[in-house]
Order: sequence, then structure tokens, then C-alpha cells
Amino acid sequence: MNNGDFLILLAAMAVSSYFCRSFGFFAMRFVQITPRLEAALRATPLAVMSAIVAISVVRGGPPEWIASAAVVAIMHMTKSDIIAALGGVAVIALLRTAGA
Amino acid sequence: MSDTAPVTFTLAGILRGLKRTAGLSVGVFVYGAGFGLMAVQAKLSAWQAVAMSIAVFSGSAQLAAIGVLNAGASSLAAMAWALVATILVINARYTLFSATMRPWLGALPPAKSYGTLFILGDGSWMVSMDAYERGERDAGFVFGSSASGCFVWFLGTWIGAVAGNIVPDPQRLGLDFFFAAFAAAMATGLTRKRADIPVIVLAAAIGILGAGMGAYGSAIVVAGLAGGAVAWLRTPADGATR
Repeated sequence: MNNGDFLILLAAMAVSSYFCRSFGFFAMRFVQITPRLEAALRATPLAVMSAIVAISVVRGGPPEWIASAAVVAIMHMTKSDIIAALGGVAVIALLRTAGA
Repeated sequence: MSDTAPVTFTLAGILRGLKRTAGLSVGVFVYGAGFGLMAVQAKLSAWQAVAMSIAVFSGSAQLAAIGVLNAGASSLAAMAWALVATILVINARYTLFSATMRPWLGALPPAKSYGTLFILGDGSWMVSMDAYERGERDAGFVFGSSASGCFVWFLGTWIGAVAGNIVPDPQRLGLDFFFAAFAAAMATGLTRKRADIPVIVLAAAIGILGAGMGAYGSAIVVAGLAGGAVAWLRTPADGATR
């Protein structure tokens, strides 16, 4: 693609991308952080993570189901999220190689 | 709980953040390389691919944007609007992520808070919220945990664009599962009390419903809002018990 056109498209992408990253933070400036709101904000990550996992499980098949269970089990054993995630990846890679 | 601890932004915090996400870098690198390869296949040059990674810094949005570029449009303006619409839909979750950062980053001067938000990623948001929950108040942590992903994402993009063939297929290595696996591990670590269960069940149900409709991005945002609503409802107005 020629650079002139690309720079225009790049600017459009950069502005829309940064808008998403900053708007929520900016808007919250005008909202008073009450204890209830703080509790709501702090519960958001667990909800987002649960939805990400649920979507992955529903879209996937038996390899994703087994690997997700393995992640939870390894996390309980090791308390390390990186090890648990890599363990899950190893399980799914093995299952795919085995043709599951 | 150290809720009243002052918010700082120190080098020590940045280093803690860098260290925390170092283990995620392998997955981010391979995905960056996958994007770089797709970008050159879509007739972008290597520098254009890297520029896109810097400007957008979101794998899901960039892959969707490549799809839009490949599809073509009747004019440059039409193409620009299609890209804007695609990124706003796919990255809507970042509006929610940045809102949840207000109690922490809101104490910083705008240059630091808005600068940090520029490089916030899915993974660094998760580890930062987890760290905040455990009492971390040094906002350098958010910056550091985001910065490591940035660096490998740019490097991966460039290597994928100039030497895409040497990079292994992420799917074969199971790396397409890495992000969901990390989310599962983090959620397991964050679940500590019985009161968390309704949040998980409701969010998972919304995720499943959204997946059924093919609306993954919106499902994640709605699930996040619903989980927040549950916590809001069970917290007394005076915040007596959290």
C-alpha cells in the first residue's frame, strides 16, 4: 500500500484505538468512587476472565475442555498462573498432536 | 487492606511489573510474528506492519483490521471509517478496562496515567487488577507490566513481517489457547470467597450466550458490567463489608 494512503488509515486506527483505551478512564473522572462502585470495579476482572474462559470452552472441543480443567488443577497446585497457563498450552498441544 | 496507601509511580514498581509479565512474552512474541506475516501477505510493508502494531497495539483489533484492508473499499474515506468502526467494536472492552483503572491511575498526573493507558494490554490489565487486589499501589507496576508486552509485540511483528516463514504455527504449539489458559489461571487465583461464585456463573453464562451469537467482544464487555453489578448489589452503601 502506498505510504500516503497508509498514513491516513494509520491515523484513523490510532485515534479509534486510543479512544477506547482512554475514554473509560476519562469518563470516570466525573463519577464519584463510592464503596459500592469500587466493589463493582474490582469484581470486573473476575467476570471478564470467566467470560473469556467460557467462550474458549464453548468454541473449542474436548482438547480445550481437558486443558482448561488442567489449568485450574495446576493453578491450585502451583499457585503460579504462568506455569498453569503454559501447562494448559502443553496439554492442548499434546492432545492436538495425538489427534484428539 | 492498604486501601489508603498513597499511589506512587516508581522504577521499582516498573521493574516489578516487567518481571510479572515476562513469562507472557513468549506467547505475545509468537502472536506478534503471526500478525507480521499476515500483514505482509495483505500487501503491507514491514514498517507499515510495525507502525500498525505501535498505533493499535491489540492483536484482535489488528487482525480484524487486516481483514478489512483485504476486503477493500470504494474509497480511502470508506476504508478509514470501516477501520474505525471495526476497532471501536473489537476494542470496546478497553473502555471498561480503563474505567476500572480510575481508582489507581486517577491519582497520577495526566501524562503518566494517559501514557500508561496507551500501552495497556489484556494481559497487563489482568495482572494489574490482580496486583491491586493484593495491595499493590505503585502505578509503575501497570506501566512495567504493559511495557514488556509492547516490546515483544513490536519485535514479533517485525520478525514475522521480514522472516514470517521461520516462525512456528501458533495453533500447532497450542499458543492460540494461551490467552484463555492465562485467564483461567488468573480467575482461579482471584476466586477466594463463596460470594465470587455468582459473578463467575453469571459472566460465564453471558460469555456462552454471546459466543452462540458470535458476539465475542460485546459478550466480554457485558459480562464485565454484569459482574460489576453483582458486586455493587451485594455491597452496602457504606461499604461496611467488601
